[in-house]
Amino acid sequence: MQLLNILLDASATSNASNYFPIGLQLFFAIGFVVTMMFVTHFLGPKRKTADKLENFASGIETHGDARQPMAIKYFLVAILFVLFDVEVIFFYPYAVNFRSLGWEGFGAVLMFVAFFLAGFIYIIKKGALTWED
Amino acid sequence: MNTIPLTHILFVSTALFFIGMYGLFTRRNIITMLMSIELILNSVNINFIAFNKYLHPANLDGVFFTIFIIAIAAAEAAVAIAIIINLYRNHKSIDIEDAAEMKY
Amino acid sequence: MNAIILSAILGVIMMFSGIWVNNKATLRWIALAGLLVLLISNIAEMYGYRIWNVNVHNMLYFDRFGLLFNSVAIGSTFIFVALSGSDINRVGKYAAEYYTLIFFVLTGITIISVYTSLLMLFLGIEIMSIPLYILTGSDKRNLKSNEASLKYFLMGAFSTGLMLMGITLIYGATGSFSIEVLNNPAIAQGVSFLEITGMLFLLVSMAFKVSAAPFHFWTPDVYDGAPGVFTSFMATVVKAAAFIAFVKLFDARMSYSSAVVDWKMLLCILIIATLLIGNITAVFQQSVKRMLAYSSIAQAGFMLFAVFSMNEMAKEGIIFYAVSYSLATIGVFAVLLKMKDFTFEGYNGLAKSQPVLAFANTVFLLSLAGIPLTAGFFAKYFMLASVIQTGHYLWMVIVAVLFAAVSVYYYFRVIQAMYFKTGEGETENIHPGFKTGLIILTVIIILLGVAPNLIINFLYF
Repeated sequence: MQLLNILLDASATSNASNYFPIGLQLFFAIGFVVTMMFVTHFLGPKRKTADKLENFASGIETHGDARQPMAIKYFLVAILFVLFDVEVIFFYPYAVNFRSLGWEGFGAVLMFVAFFLAGFIYIIKKGALTWED
Repeated sequence: MNTIPLTHILFVSTALFFIGMYGLFTRRNIITMLMSIELILNSVNINFIAFNKYLHPANLDGVFFTIFIIAIAAAEAAVAIAIIINLYRNHKSIDIEDAAEMKY
Repeated sequence: MNAIILSAILGVIMMFSGIWVNNKATLRWIALAGLLVLLISNIAEMYGYRIWNVNVHNMLYFDRFGLLFNSVAIGSTFIFVALSGSDINRVGKYAAEYYTLIFFVLTGITIISVYTSLLMLFLGIEIMSIPLYILTGSDKRNLKSNEASLKYFLMGAFSTGLMLMGITLIYGATGSFSIEVLNNPAIAQGVSFLEITGMLFLLVSMAFKVSAAPFHFWTPDVYDGAPGVFTSFMATVVKAAAFIAFVKLFDARMSYSSAVVDWKMLLCILIIATLLIGNITAVFQQSVKRMLAYSSIAQAGFMLFAVFSMNEMAKEGIIFYAVSYSLATIGVFAVLLKMKDFTFEGYNGLAKSQPVLAFANTVFLLSLAGIPLTAGFFAKYFMLASVIQTGHYLWMVIVAVLFAAVSVYYYFRVIQAMYFKTGEGETENIHPGFKTGLIILTVIIILLGVAPNLIINFLYF
């Protein structure tokens, strides 16, 4: 916790020896990374055959490029799903404090849902969710 | 029981923050840059939760801020993906170096 | 509170009117009516009438300063839509969505002008910028517009990340998001490193948002690539709002930590760099649109003086600067959008072909340059006077005046092209209503140049 004290109290840092643990930690962190990189480089065997350089796909032979162009609808639905999915987290705090927030909280959540529904209706009206054209 | 000290968590979050920054500055693939931005935001989330739990446990301010960050990050990502798709349709590439129309 | 809730609701209304109304001209009238309602409701709140009584838990505080700025921002947006509405309709086929996004931007602006909690600052900035990313890229078939929007997004998201890191460090140090330090018990223990680091993060991210050098590099590209109408909106209302957030943040936080960090020196470096880069680069531009982008950086340098000196005069000054700069720039862009050619040559001989446009444009440019009898003069005067009041770094006033003299050069290039060069001065078809609007705007700018108290008195009645 000594490091934390340094962070929270500027006056305690007048002593240069307080920086010692940071320096030590930095030294070990960098040293560890450098050592590991060198060790793996020297110890690891290197056999580059054609099979090894191939992408590993659970033993199945690979064919073609995975990056084929997809219909834009997939992206659209995915984006919309992410948006509507994530907004649900605002319900968790409300669900926990449901009783203590009372009618005021209920009104706020109702407003939130109303804005949400407005967005949803807008999406449907714009035809963003129609799968077949 | 020994708890994990706060400084360890701060190390993780700071590392994430700078990994994100590094990725943002060095990567040339726009999707990867977007992922780097998400890393930065998530490092901030870790920071908030840690500060809330260790230093100011009296109320849940930090946790609520995290919720807002997650929501905003989702909105930002949605807009970013839309922009990237639009760029891809015109450029046929998501390499940032190809987006050099205004270089002079 | 009126403006925040009403602008969100109006945004939703606008969104749905895009489904039911197909006529773009009608959509513009709906947007104008909405903005008028918004303006009236906000002015009503300045006089104490609130439609909603929401318990905001000290996260927002509706003081005169913020409410007056809200009125200014909404009023400027009204003038912007009234003058350039037809150009918004020409950008693409989703006119209703553009107006919707403008309303949502206004929601963000009305939040960040009255915030007292860092949470609200974050939310307001994000609500303001996310619609702007879309507006920047709204010209979907244009490569420049796409790239500008990508650049704007990357820079905006990065500066948001920095801002959040700053907020979390401040939260770790003080345990609250309040920007009011006085009622904060943690302050008694003294300033901590965490908090100072957090403030520095916030300073950098706000400098990004207001495009102060050395964090300005995204500005010219974004302003140049975005559709002209939205550049006009971004460079005026949004930039002024970011400045209000900046001023509010450092007004509350700067003085008590000044023992540890020399904020005045940091801001001094920012200001000098911004003035230098903005003014000098603007001189060499060939396109008027790009010149205006650089000139907006230069004007940001002047607005930073308010953050620097941070006294009563600075607060009056930043509001007045926001008004004069927004109105003049909206006017210049409105004329620019009617031109067929965006270079300086395109303006040749405009005084012959369109005398009203040329005259109005001259007044706007004079106001931007800060010539007396226009609003811009008093704006710059207030800024410099506030620095003199603080009594520190007085040499900066001289530097600022010198750079203002440089700025006269590139603004006068346009005036020279309009009046003293021969050419076609080709424009789109000019509607008589557009000319009337320009004349009204000109009158407002000259009126404010003679009697600046018309705006400032609203701070103290």
